[in-house]
This record gives sequence, structure tokens and C-alpha cells, in this order.
Amino acid sequence: MANTVIGRIVATEKKPTTIDDFTFWTDSKLILNPFDIVKVEHVNDSVSYGVVEDIAHITDAASFLTNYISSDFGDVSAEENTLRVGMNYVTAKVICNTKNIYIPLQNNVKVMLATAKEINYALGLDDIRNPLVCGYLEMYEGTKDCEKVTLPVNLNSKFIIGPEGAHLNISGISGLAAKTSYAMFLLKAIQDSYMKKSKEDEDEDSVAFVLFNVKGKDLLAIDQLNDFYDERNPEQARNETHAKYRALGLSTEPFKNVQYYYPYSIPNTRHWNTYMTPQEVEDNIKKKKAKKFKYIYKYDKDNLDLMFANIDDSTQTMESIISYIMSGQGKFNQISDWQEFLEVVKEKNSAETTTKDKEISVQSWRKFYRIINKSITDNKIFARDIREDEGETRIGDAIKKIKKNEVHVIDIAKLSEDKQAYVFGDTIRTIYDLQLGQYNGEDGVAPPSRIVIFIDELNKYASSEMPKNSPILRQVLDVAERGRSLGVVLFAAEQFRSSIHDRVTGNCSTHAYGRTNSIEVAKGDYKSIPPVYKTMMTRLKQGEYIIQNPVFRSLLNIKFPKPIYKQFK
Amino acid sequence: MAKIMEIIEKQTKGKSYRTYKYSYDSIGLPSINYDDDSNKTIKWKESGETNISKNPIDLKPLADQLQKIGDKPLLKYFLDGSRRVFKVDDIAYNNQVFPVVAGQIGIGCCSREQKCMRKERFYRELVLALPDKANADGWNDAAYFAAQTEKLNNSEELKRLNLHFSAIIPYSTSKIGSSEVKLDNLAIAAIQDYMIEAEKRMVAELVKDKRLGQDSYLLKDGSLEYKDMKSGREDLRTLQKIKSNYHWVIGVSKSFNPASCLDYTGKPNSNYIANLPVLHRTPVARYENREFLGDIQFGVWYIRLRDKFRTQTPFDGVVKVEKIMLDNEIDYGIDSDVIDVISANIINERNPTCYGTDRRWANHLYPVFLTESYVKSKYISTEMFLHLF
Repeated sequence: MANTVIGRIVATEKKPTTIDDFTFWTDSKLILNPFDIVKVEHVNDSVSYGVVEDIAHITDAASFLTNYISSDFGDVSAEENTLRVGMNYVTAKVICNTKNIYIPLQNNVKVMLATAKEINYALGLDDIRNPLVCGYLEMYEGTKDCEKVTLPVNLNSKFIIGPEGAHLNISGISGLAAKTSYAMFLLKAIQDSYMKKSKEDEDEDSVAFVLFNVKGKDLLAIDQLNDFYDERNPEQARNETHAKYRALGLSTEPFKNVQYYYPYSIPNTRHWNTYMTPQEVEDNIKKKKAKKFKYIYKYDKDNLDLMFANIDDSTQTMESIISYIMSGQGKFNQISDWQEFLEVVKEKNSAETTTKDKEISVQSWRKFYRIINKSITDNKIFARDIREDEGETRIGDAIKKIKKNEVHVIDIAKLSEDKQAYVFGDTIRTIYDLQLGQYNGEDGVAPPSRIVIFIDELNKYASSEMPKNSPILRQVLDVAERGRSLGVVLFAAEQFRSSIHDRVTGNCSTHAYGRTNSIEVAKGDYKSIPPVYKTMMTRLKQGEYIIQNPVFRSLLNIKFPKPIYKQFK
Repeated sequence: MAKIMEIIEKQTKGKSYRTYKYSYDSIGLPSINYDDDSNKTIKWKESGETNISKNPIDLKPLADQLQKIGDKPLLKYFLDGSRRVFKVDDIAYNNQVFPVVAGQIGIGCCSREQKCMRKERFYRELVLALPDKANADGWNDAAYFAAQTEKLNNSEELKRLNLHFSAIIPYSTSKIGSSEVKLDNLAIAAIQDYMIEAEKRMVAELVKDKRLGQDSYLLKDGSLEYKDMKSGREDLRTLQKIKSNYHWVIGVSKSFNPASCLDYTGKPNSNYIANLPVLHRTPVARYENREFLGDIQFGVWYIRLRDKFRTQTPFDGVVKVEKIMLDNEIDYGIDSDVIDVISANIINERNPTCYGTDRRWANHLYPVFLTESYVKSKYISTEMFLHLF
């Protein structure tokens, strides 16, 4: 495809071209979009590429009044024989030069549309090692004399799941942004590429996934194919989606090696802790692809602090009670189940027993009791023992034995918020310890080199407004800051990026911005993003993201196909 | 590399004084507007159109109707010529000092297609006006100055910049000494004449290429009152040729001297124009000036484009239109229907305006304004041009 010339560079006294930016004029009817790549001739036979940031339309009308007067002083039906001279000028950012020449682009040189190959080069997509598809981009949509260019976009997987860079943050408003779908698309791409790889060489790095289902049955059937039943034409939708997956080099199969964990529940009572029906749970347990999880005092008392994740504990009394319990002081070393535990705590509530103890006041014990009692008695997942034959397990035990290419989905959708935090905190603590090598040598422990955790609604666990000493925040920060080298990778999603702790977002190598609202983009987190892109973020379509990754020379506007796994509405 | 004045000095054996160089246009020196020279003694005769009327004619219904039908506008080509003149030096011949004036002439023609303006053709000519004394022999000025021009164009400086002078024009020094005559003005007039000649050439080319026709008129900015050139009265054949070139050409002037607005009785009547209602035209007057224009007769009329209370003076918003009379028209006048259609088309050019960009917005027609802007945009910058000398 030849390069179509679409305009020429303008460098004026007031608006010069610079090392970074340039402006060119185009015909006022030429359709270009932000993020489109243009090619510009430069000195020494080099070529610079720029990415379109903004497009403005001007005419020679000196003021609003000129136009008013040109309609016979405000006659709305006045017609004109000559169109007012107008043009579009496009502001673009230089992204690279073929000979690394970065002096400003020269006045009046030609600006052209780029070919697919050139776009690949310009964006730095042509030379990506360890490619991992993260979507596709479409360019020149609706541009005259030019076919739409569709290109798969690959990331260097070392820059998203480590060791070069790790963690992904996806932000966008509920529903419209399709955050879960995008995370699942990436996870699917990772699983595909590692499954392919593992056949070739065994010792290469390996990956496993731990997912949290936080909404309905969203992630509770990811090993089943999408039936597209909510589409107008399911057959057509399926074919189109599958074609897209194939074009991106992905298989058209859903996730493999999936294991589900439902909270332990009692059918037909209010203690039913999942959105799956008892029948479905039973079936899946029989098929050996699901288990029910419980918490046993003996093993899980160490995680009691996690129940206090969202409780403001500025005087650290709760913390001292927890450490009192964990270290087995008083009667706490003789306890074997939750019931006894509560009784012992209750004892502490009476004034007489605690008078000897000067450190922790009875009021604190009462507060502790109130919180813990409500959490534990409310739910049957806190139990005395597990029956492995019935498909019951502890999360800690299950996660410890995670193998490469496995996907573990933990259903916490129906749990109350404090218990969600408890399960989440427990899981990442286990994964963190696992990758630190704490369980090395135990039976069946053979962790993959990297474990990817996906959690939606990160704001519940790592909000910037969280108490500083929140154990769960500390855990998330640990993962964010040290997970890259340990092989613990966090894929997190939230509605508002600005509400997430700076140290968490700051440590993410990849950011995906989905549809958001204008209040959000006005916040400081978005300062570095050009204004037009900010506005674009407020009108991105479902299945469209703006991606930021150190490998890319600029932000990319990418799309991704519909989910391949079963959807519940 | 030798500058132009050094070459001229050497070639014509004069003495250059290297005086201050400046642009006449920027310092508002004598404004010579030959297009609209108000002092011409034009004798108005009887009506110049077939329907004799004494009252202004309302063209709004016709203009609206044309707009409604959505026919292509009659006016397709727009021509504008302009010049920038610069005092570049003083040169002495035989101890007499004469100004040297250089000019950039731009003649542009734009066409309009589907409401958008496109360049049709463009000339940019660089000229230099020298006193005729530069040719000491005094014979065959044309050949002498053409030879000088060629020598100038062969200079390294011009070649390096890829510039080309079209002509060195001599201006007459015979009237020197008379109090009214300023030499600068003579030089400027010579350049102005050259520009008018270039405009005529452009019209002739358009005719030759069969661009003009009954549904693609040329609108020329300014008057059509071309006076005979200094080379003396041209023979009748040339005149006829020029005339036929102007079959589909109208001249529209933005400015005119209100004092020379004569009504149908032939008496000055500025009020008649001042009170011309909006979107009306005056009856067509006929005038001829045998001494000045040969046997060419013109139909002249005025059209008001903007309401009087919208403009600064009652004469703003009125344009003067001219059309050369041909063949039968000389005897019977121009067909009033044609005048009406032309006028209605001009009225429909009233929008858009260049309000805010040009102070003459009320009288300006937008396509002409664009053509003018285009021509102006093609000039070499003053600094660069003056630096040549």
C-alpha cells in the first residue's frame, strides 16, 4: 500500500514544532482518530512517526460575530455560495524516528498515512520478545482512500507477569468497561501461550492462576464455552468471536485445568454462600472440579488479623489482642475450635478476669468480641473440621498445591465484605508464603514460577483511604512491591483508579484504562494523559481499552474480542 | 555576490546612493488607486439597459429564488491582481537623482467548485522601475530594458534564490520639474500599468482556454476601465480582441467616489446611492470615454449588499458593477434580464463575510477576499525582497 499524503507540517511563530510535538493541516473532511499513526518525512532521509492527539477545525472567521453577520445578521436560513475557508489541524506527538533524529519536524513537509508494517514499527510492536497478545488495534477507521488497518498487539510477557515488570491494573466503570472480560482475555492469552510453551520445553518458567469471583456467577464457569445466548444472532456472534481469537493466534477453547472453591454452605438455609445452586455445586464436586472451603481454628487463627482489615485501629488495641491470641497467651493455647475460642474471648469480657491484665482493657476485649463474634458465628465456613471425602478443603491447603497452568477460582461473591477480605487476605498470604518457599518440601507442593492473582474491586483491599496498618493493605503492598521478583503477580481491577493506594498503582507495569467518567479523569492520577485521550476515556466502547506498558512507545487504544467462556447475565 | 543595485549601477552607468529601503504600502504613502480613479471625466449618457427605469430595482425575490432552485452560481472565476511597491534606492544619472522602485505583482485567479475555492492560475512577477534616463541612447527602450533584465536574471544572487525578474520598466522623466509630479508616483504608476497588463493577459488566457461562458462568469476585483497603455493607442483589432475577451467578465469595485455617482439624469446625486435600499440595484448607466477608452462602452450600476444601518457610512455595503457592452448592446443597451441575473448572483455572494478580518467587509465579496488572500500569501516577504537590492 502506498502512503497517501494527507497534509503538511505547519510550524509558525506561535505554534512551532518541537522535539515532541508537531502540527499539520489536513482537509477538513479527512477522518482521522486519536491514536492513529502518521508518517512524516524528516532530514537525512529519515522518517518520523507521530501519534494523533488532537484535531481542531478552524476557519478564517475572525470571531463568532463574523459568522453571525455572515448569516445576514442572524438569519438562520441564509445560505452561502462559497464555503468559508476552513481546515483541520492535527496535533500529534512524535513517537520515533527511523534514524533517531529528534530535531523538530520541518515546516511544510509531507504527512502521510502509514502502512500496517510501518505502524508496527512505529509503535515498537514489530520486535517484541515473548509476545503475549493483549488485544488488537484498528486504525484509519473511516479514513478516505485508506483501508482500515487491523493489527494484533503483543506485549512482552516478561513485562506483565515478570520478572522485568509485573502487575496489571484495570480501571473503568462497572458494566461499560468490561474489566473482568479484559482481565480474563489476558489470562486466557497467558494460559494459551504457556500451555503451548510447556509442550516444547519443560523447565521454562511456568504460571498458574488464582481468581476471585466477586460478582454473581461471573467466573464460575470459565471452563465452559460461551453460548452467546444473549446475542441477537448467537451463531454469527460465535463465528465472529472465534475468528477474532484465531486471528490473534489464540485457541477457541475456554480455560483449562480449572478448579473452583465455593464457601462451605448448607443447602436450603440462609447459610448458602454461593450463587451456584446446590445441585450445580454437588455436580462439580462429583466431577472433581470443585471443592468447598472452610476455616479451621487450629490452622487459620494466624489470619485473624485479616478480619480487622477495615477496622480503624489507631491505638492498636485490636492488634495487641490479636498478637496476644496468636502467641497463645492466657487460655488461648488450649483452644481447638472456634466455639471455644469465642468462649475464651467472652471470658475476657468480664471485668474480674481482666483486672490482672493491665495492658489490654476490658473495653478493648469487648470490642474485639463484638467484631469477631459477628464474623464467626454468622457463617458456617468457620468450622471444626474438614471432610476431604465430601470435597471440603482449607483454602491454604488447596492453594499450596497449585500446579503450573492450573486455574483456581475462589468464589467469594456471596460472602460479607469482612469475610471477603479474610479469604482474599488468606489466599494472597498463602501464595506469598508459597513463593517465598515456606512450604518447600511438603507433600505435593510444586509451585509454578509465577502465580497470577486476579481480583476485582481492589478498592476494597487497597484503597487509598484504608487504615495504614490494615494487614490486608500491607499484604497487597507486599505483593505489589516485591511480587515481581517472587513470582506473585497481581491483576487487579477497580472502578476508580484514583481511589487505589499510590504504591499499588505505582508498581503496576501495565495499566488498562477502560470507559470512565469525567470526574475521575479530572483527578491527579490522569495528569500525564493528554486531554483528548482523557475525553476519549469517557466514551470508550465496551471492549475498548487504552493500554500503557513500558514496551509501547505511546498509549495504545486497543480492542479485544468477546469472552470465550460461559457468561451469566 | 553582487546585489541588484550594484548590477544596475554598473550596467546603466549611474550612481547608486544606497538610500533607505522601504515599502510604500506599509508607510501609507501616496495611495494611487487607478482602478477607482474618481477624477476621470466620464460623460454619462442615456440608460445602458433594455428596460428603462428610474427607480431602484428590488432583486431579493430573484436572488432568493436562485438560491432556492440551487442552481450553480453564475460566477465561477474570481480574479484579483495586486502589487506591492518598494522604494529600493535612488540612482543618479548625469547628477540628477531618480528613485528606483521595485514591485512584486501577484495576479491570481481562483475558481469555485462545489462551494470550495481552488487555484486556477497564478502569476508572480517581480519588476523594477527605472527612470527612462537609464537608457542614455534614448532609442528602442523595449530592447534595451529587456537586455538589462536578462543580465539581471543571470546574476548569481537571483539564480541562487531561484528568483526571476519579469521586466525592467522605464518611467518617463519628461514631466520632471512640474510641481504636481512626484517621480515616485510615476514609477509606481508604471508598475501599476504593468500589473493591469498582466491582468489582461490572465483574462485572455482564460478565454483562450475556454474557461469562461454564460454559466461561468469571471468576476474581476476592481474596475474594468483599463486605459490605453503607454505604448500608444493600440490598433482597432487589438481593441476588438480585448473586448470580446470580456464577454463573460464583470468588474466589481469595492470602493468608488460617492461624488462621482451620477443618477440617470446625469447629475451628481450621491443621495441616490446612499438611499439605495438593501438588495436593490440602480438602473444601468452607460458611459464611454473616447479619449480614454476608445470606443468601448460600459454599463455601470450599483448594488447594495448590506443594510445601511448596519454599516459605518451609507456608501459601505454598496458595490459598483461594470460590464463591457458588446455588439448590439451598444445600440440597445444590455439586456435587463441579464443584468438582473448577474446582480442577483452578486447579491447571493454577500455571505459569508470577512467581518473582523478586513475592514472593508461590507463591500467585500468573500470569494474575492479569498483570492486576494491567496495572492497576498504568495508574496516574498518584505525583508527578503528588500535584501535583494
